[in-house]
Amino acid sequence: MAKICSNQQALNSPYARKLTERQCEKLYWACLEILERTGVHLYEQEAVDLLKKAGAHVTDGNRVRIPSGLVEKALTTVPKTVTLCDQNGNRVIHGGGHQSYFGTGSDCLNIRDHRTGERRLAVLKDIQEGMILCDALENIDFVMCMFLPSDVHQEVLDRYEMEAMLNYTNKPVIYVTTEFSGCVDAIKMAEIVAGGEESLVTHPFAGCYINVTTGLRHNQEALQKLLFLSGKGLPFTYIPSAQGGVTAPITIAGTMAMNNAGALTGLVISQLKREGAPFIMPGWGGNMLDMRTTIQPYADPEKRGQAIDFAHFLGIPTFALAGCSESKLVDEQAAAEAAMTLFTDAIFGGNFVHDVGYLESGLCGSLPQLVICNEILSWIEAFMKGVEISDETLCLDLIDEVGPDGQFLDCQHTLENFRDRWYPNLFERSNFDGWQSKGGKSLGERANENVNQILEDHKPEPLPKDVAKAVHDIVEQAENTR
Amino acid sequence: MDKTQELIDAVIKGEEDKIKLIIMENLSAGTPAKEIMDQGLIAGMNIVGEKMESEEMFIPEVLMSAKAMSSGVELLKPHLTEDEASASGKMVIGTVQGDLHDIGKNLVKMLMEGAGFTVFDLGTDVSPEAFVEAIKKNDADILGMSALLTTTMPKMEETIKAISEAGLRDKIKILIGGAPVTDEFSDKIGADGYGPDAGSAVRIAKNFAPDYS
Ligand code: B1M
Repeated sequence: MAKICSNQQALNSPYARKLTERQCEKLYWACLEILERTGVHLYEQEAVDLLKKAGAHVTDGNRVRIPSGLVEKALTTVPKTVTLCDQNGNRVIHGGGHQSYFGTGSDCLNIRDHRTGERRLAVLKDIQEGMILCDALENIDFVMCMFLPSDVHQEVLDRYEMEAMLNYTNKPVIYVTTEFSGCVDAIKMAEIVAGGEESLVTHPFAGCYINVTTGLRHNQEALQKLLFLSGKGLPFTYIPSAQGGVTAPITIAGTMAMNNAGALTGLVISQLKREGAPFIMPGWGGNMLDMRTTIQPYADPEKRGQAIDFAHFLGIPTFALAGCSESKLVDEQAAAEAAMTLFTDAIFGGNFVHDVGYLESGLCGSLPQLVICNEILSWIEAFMKGVEISDETLCLDLIDEVGPDGQFLDCQHTLENFRDRWYPNLFERSNFDGWQSKGGKSLGERANENVNQILEDHKPEPLPKDVAKAVHDIVEQAENTR
Repeated sequence: MDKTQELIDAVIKGEEDKIKLIIMENLSAGTPAKEIMDQGLIAGMNIVGEKMESEEMFIPEVLMSAKAMSSGVELLKPHLTEDEASASGKMVIGTVQGDLHDIGKNLVKMLMEGAGFTVFDLGTDVSPEAFVEAIKKNDADILGMSALLTTTMPKMEETIKAISEAGLRDKIKILIGGAPVTDEFSDKIGADGYGPDAGSAVRIAKNFAPDYS
């Protein structure tokens, strides 16, 4: 588990922010103004009805203008942290404040195969291997399915993804489903693993990643998932996809205002459905379309930081995104973008930081890239620790004892404490001859070997046989009704 | 024709007023509208297309050029025969059933319009029947389908089947695109072309043109 937390103690551990309180306030008022003045289109009747009953203004059937008071009220009932357990019910993630946790992304169509070096369509086996790897990597705190399996019936691919995440790792899960029925099935599977409906609520280990068409246009499936999960009190993210220059103004502030107006809409509906329902909001802000290549950049520097500041201001946990790259290869660009994005999200204190290991702006994944990110996270964890300046750590007696001409190498104190310092696993520190005698390998080559080693050695704790079968029955049922 | 290069440059820079001015000057001097269209507006837009593909021009600039060019076309229209005016063809476009991703589709649509096509946009989540209906209603030459999800790609094949069943397959060219779509898939389902990006989509559509214009 990555024990990364910015701003742990006043002035004792690093933290960063871009927006002042006043700026956050202005942004918040802008969101409220958009909701009251422009309003949103909601494509699910129950959501419209809930809002109408609470006092929202509804026109044209589904154009809903939300009074500020409803947002203010929702902010008083939404929990400030979201806890996720591992699949054994241990409460391992407390997403909120400045505490950061890291996990993979979902649904990459392609994989850069570490065995052949080729880019090919991903298959179910890739998800299984990915999950074994995640299970073993100490700085990956939760999993998303990484790949999209091209070798199963596509209508039910989300069931296979969920099954693989339950079978090949014990870590908390964030799942994605195309349609609402897939979400219902994912919860059924999770309930089986948790040991019942009630156990999943008291020990939630799975959260749903809900995407919304734009800030002001909320599609039916997104709202159905939100209502279903809020009703049960189960965690989910609610992430509108306002894209600067396309579905929102090109300015970062304008895109953030529209996107967060959308997030706050989801928040209000969730709290109307069930006060106290957990809610996770976007941890990146100011998405854009790259106007030169028409891709949506993931490692864009300008969209980082401010959304996390805004969520801290509101007191709502964030779903952030880092460890990702626009690069087509596991190369220097991929390592640089992964490192910079992970570093920024950690220092701002994003909570559920996903998409670790993504290449090609979300269309390709790589196991060695994930291993490299795990190493970067280890570095960041070491960096983020506060420095203790105390009588004990200043060692004045020892300094005096050793004196100006002595040395510390063979001191008992060094022997007792040297392991507290950070050592890399994958990053190479040997001198040239040492490095050469180990084969003179690049980081990419070492990461490849590390992946193979883990896949050979690591055996995740399997689900009990009857549980695994009951989970698989859900997949079969979906297959039979497709 | 006078000031050909200036007109081309005005298209590239998206200078609507200048375009209109040069067109009016030429029309009053008796230059045939078709010549102004081909040597000025279309020649300019072709360069814009190339500059976009070489990443020299950015999308908003391209769209600005396209808009400026359209206003020029409007001026020329009364002086063109119907055939000349819709020389590029008519296209029906939409994102297939079950799919809400429309950013790529919208880009393709705008660039098609910029290239002189008349585009009928059916939006997202479009059923095979709705595509067939729109093709008939608008007497379209090209169908453009976009899908971003592997779960909705099969709807492209279904739509092509529905088009064949409606007896329309011979009169229409089918262009498809979206992140999971490939050349191979396009061949497999019997589409006529696949565009990896909006710029190439326009290029492919233009290559269809001789078949029907
Ligand atoms: C007619 O001829 C042509 C010719 C060329 C054509 C063409 C047609 N159409 C496109 N082209 C081509 O030209 C365009 C311009 O150059 C290009 O178009 P593109 O659309 O590729 O490019 C756009 C200009 C920019 N790119 C985009 O707009 C897509 C970016 C990504 C990140 C993406 C986005 C933004 C969204 N999403 Co979605 N989304 C992803 C995408 C990942 C990715 N990197 O592609 C993808 C496609 N989504 C995915 C998923 C899982 C989902 N999404 C969903 C929702 C959404 C949003 C609504 C949030 C949003 C779309 C907003 C909108 N209004 O369109 C959900 C499904 C909803 C639904 N039923 O459609 C949901 C299921 C997620 C959820 N939690 O609910 C993944 C694929 C899953 C699959 N089964 O295949 C995905 C690859 C991301 C990932 N790695 O997980 C070319 O493809």
